[in-house]
Amino acid sequence: MKFCHLSLLSVLLAFSMSACQTTNSPTVGKGISYGDAKAVETVSTDLGSTDIQTTSEKMTQSLLQTPLLQEIIQKRGLLMASPVENKTSEYFDTKLITDTVLSHLQKNGVRYVIASDEMQNQVDELRRQNQSGLYKKSSTAKTGNMQGAQYRLDGSVSSITKRGTGVKDVYYKINMRLIEIESGIVEWSDEKEIRKVINY
Amino acid sequence: MKRMTVAFALGIACLSFALPVHSADGGSVASKVEELGRMDYLKVTDLRAVRRDGLLRVQATLSNSSPGNQQLYYRFRWLDSDGFAVWEEEPWKPELIYGKQDKVLSVVAPTFKAADFKLELQSPNNSTSAESTGNGNVADKPPYR
Repeated sequence: MKFCHLSLLSVLLAFSMSACQTTNSPTVGKGISYGDAKAVETVSTDLGSTDIQTTSEKMTQSLLQTPLLQEIIQKRGLLMASPVENKTSEYFDTKLITDTVLSHLQKNGVRYVIASDEMQNQVDELRRQNQSGLYKKSSTAKTGNMQGAQYRLDGSVSSITKRGTGVKDVYYKINMRLIEIESGIVEWSDEKEIRKVINY
Repeated sequence: MKRMTVAFALGIACLSFALPVHSADGGSVASKVEELGRMDYLKVTDLRAVRRDGLLRVQATLSNSSPGNQQLYYRFRWLDSDGFAVWEEEPWKPELIYGKQDKVLSVVAPTFKAADFKLELQSPNNSTSAESTGNGNVADKPPYR
């Protein structure tokens, strides 16, 4: 009887110990954690992830409403994007905006061709396939078949910074335009305003 | 037969141009809005949606019942007719609502596939029940860092 009680106690003890154990997380290292990439970033008054994300989102939504863009999707027209010009005094990669807008548009069926700053890799690959003598003629991508875009996206980021006693106010204006390349007509444009204030 | 075909075509045309996905009435608003904690001062007082040119357009009116300014964070979740997400998680967007102000948020779905939506709202002045936070009564996880 006593043995029975002891064995029951040991079983209960083992069960309670196993219940208290925690499993290790599949991580390496300490002190660094992953945050929410979609969280509102308020670290400084500089342009940040939230500004890029909300601007790209607004521009995509505005473009999608344009009858011209819906026509471009239907007729499988081609777009290209020039880099967004940074007219502010701070450094940030404005390509983030155009890349995100293009990526969102492509998910809706818009086709776009690579921009001039990405041409070198394209030319290198075409040369490698056609001039190195390493590839079967029948399988190589031929030169002279690249397609030109009918429309071009471009834009700019400007800012006004004001400092007062204990306060810094930064106003950003991000503008984007869709231009018909052949005629130079601006077919669509929109802008996004952002105000960031820090009190010392 | 010909008359029936015309009527059917007209019906389809009407549906494609203005399909009221949702009208603002008490119960329906609650089904479309997800508050992260109970919002004491901000309330969705009107919510309407319509499909136009193939895109779902949503307009939400938020009313601030307090005399002071309220900070709001919001985002939409875009769903298909079966409730599946058809777009990536949106970034949280900050919105300042002045005391006693009615603010209208107008958005257009980022994809033609969206047929339904959920509006997620968070305000730092949200309160939650004592059980959910343990000791505090103010939501302690606002979507900002």
